[in-house]
Amino acid sequence: MTEQAQNQGTMTLTEGETTASGEREFMLDVRTTDLEVNMGPQHPATHGVMRILIRCDGELVTGAQPHLGYLHRCAEKIGENVEWLQYLPYTDRYDYLAAMNNNLGYSMAVEALMDIEIPRRAELIRMICAELNRIGSHLIAFGTYGLDLGAFTPFLYMFREREWMMALFEKICGARLTYSYIRIGGVFNDAPPGWLSEVERFCDVFDEKWQEYVDLLMMNQIFIKRTANVGVIPEKMAYDFGASGPMLRGSGIDFDLRRDMPYSLYGEAAEAGAFDVPIGKGEMGTLGDSWDRVYVRTIEMAESIKIVRWCLDQIQPGPVIADIPKTLRIPIGEAYVGIENPRGELGHYVVSDGGKIAVRCRVRGPSFCNLAVLEELLPGTFLADAVAIIGSTDIVIGETDR
Amino acid sequence: MDFKAIYDHLQAIGAPGLEGCDEPRPANKEKKDKGRAGDAYVLIDPQLLPQFLHVCRDDPRLSFEMVMDLTATDPGKDDENFWVNVQLISVKHRHRLSVKSLLPKAEPKLPTCTTVHRSCQWHERECAEMYGIEFDGHPDPRHILLPDDWVGFPLRKDYEFPEEYHGISCK
Repeated sequence: MTEQAQNQGTMTLTEGETTASGEREFMLDVRTTDLEVNMGPQHPATHGVMRILIRCDGELVTGAQPHLGYLHRCAEKIGENVEWLQYLPYTDRYDYLAAMNNNLGYSMAVEALMDIEIPRRAELIRMICAELNRIGSHLIAFGTYGLDLGAFTPFLYMFREREWMMALFEKICGARLTYSYIRIGGVFNDAPPGWLSEVERFCDVFDEKWQEYVDLLMMNQIFIKRTANVGVIPEKMAYDFGASGPMLRGSGIDFDLRRDMPYSLYGEAAEAGAFDVPIGKGEMGTLGDSWDRVYVRTIEMAESIKIVRWCLDQIQPGPVIADIPKTLRIPIGEAYVGIENPRGELGHYVVSDGGKIAVRCRVRGPSFCNLAVLEELLPGTFLADAVAIIGSTDIVIGETDR
Repeated sequence: MDFKAIYDHLQAIGAPGLEGCDEPRPANKEKKDKGRAGDAYVLIDPQLLPQFLHVCRDDPRLSFEMVMDLTATDPGKDDENFWVNVQLISVKHRHRLSVKSLLPKAEPKLPTCTTVHRSCQWHERECAEMYGIEFDGHPDPRHILLPDDWVGFPLRKDYEFPEEYHGISCK
């Protein structure tokens, strides 16, 4: 044995049995030392620029250390240097798959400091947009997760509906990805004629297509085998790491900010029984596994459609933005507002000293906290399952790094 | 429970480090008070923050299972303190609590809360690199968003922007 081989590990040759045909078998047992593998910064399964330093013994992962910051764009520092309204476009850019929800979270945090009443029509349009964006975001999460596990077709199917959703947003605000549509005090402008009826058509078509997704991916036996019993997050771990959104509900914890700490008109919708909150039940394996998280996201899309339908029922003509000055001066104070983003609780903590510029503009991104779980989840799994686990956390790097 | 009930309960059980509370109030011109908007919060001694979070987590009537956010704030160049802000949430009772600690800028050091909630680990790393706050006993005190060799604490109000980084002009 060479010196190099000795350094790498041990290699033993044992003589096996003689087979019936007279051939003799030899078993080569190789035990290697731990290998450190960089997954990323450019890796399709990390969904952006993130690096996970994985230590593995053969196929077995023995340690994982996420390295963030490749997409850090100083969002919080910028928030302390631009005016209140000017910061709104920056909110689009942290979770770029759910920009409407980010706009909503920031606007609500600033509104919490102001004495202001939002027109009812504006609230309803906000809810429609936020829910449509939630569908779009979950479609990406669902589609790319299939892609990570080798199912190419669902990804293309998802983009079909997402394309329509983006066309709807283009009609209402002119942008397809970074909207800046929900403003402090309401929404930027009213829905164009015929927009609401097109949303209704979208709902009808989506209901049909949604069943396709369930059959195509969620209930696919190969998919179930790859995801069930993989990456199990028990209830206690979910609490300990501050997981939120589908990560929390996938572990069987029945908690949704839209129903339990209602904002906007979600309280009214919940009272009217317009939507349910799906939670993981461990149908295909253990409670809190990757499949449960996919299940929660999939059912949530159908629930979002129900909320959109409720809003369409309620909507009446009227103003869409409250009367606010061009240069905002926000009263002294501090407020933390958390809303239910597709990925979990998006919190904005804003502090004002009465001036035109924020003193502090903190963003609590759900992906950031959900990602922290990886350090605990990955060790002990197989390398192939690592991809399945990272995909099931549904992170957006723009948000973890801000 | 609403904020008042939570605060009364914290006083009744003698929560460690409880220093007081602050609630929003309307402006009062006679007293030259500009008022304050937003959330009510409790004030906690930073050195007893982990113990306080522990009590909040394990008390059956409060049951704050999760730390949603842990961050710091630099209220101004002339201010003597940093704020350490913690947002707690209870899934069981569906209520929230805002916690604030005043940490002197002269010696920004407090014990880590990672022992109580592991979600604090990454939040504390972010606080440490952005404000230069030292969390005593932190298991992994590396930078998280900034490069390892970054100089200065960017979110402090007296931070001066660097002119160059590894030969790259930042102007």
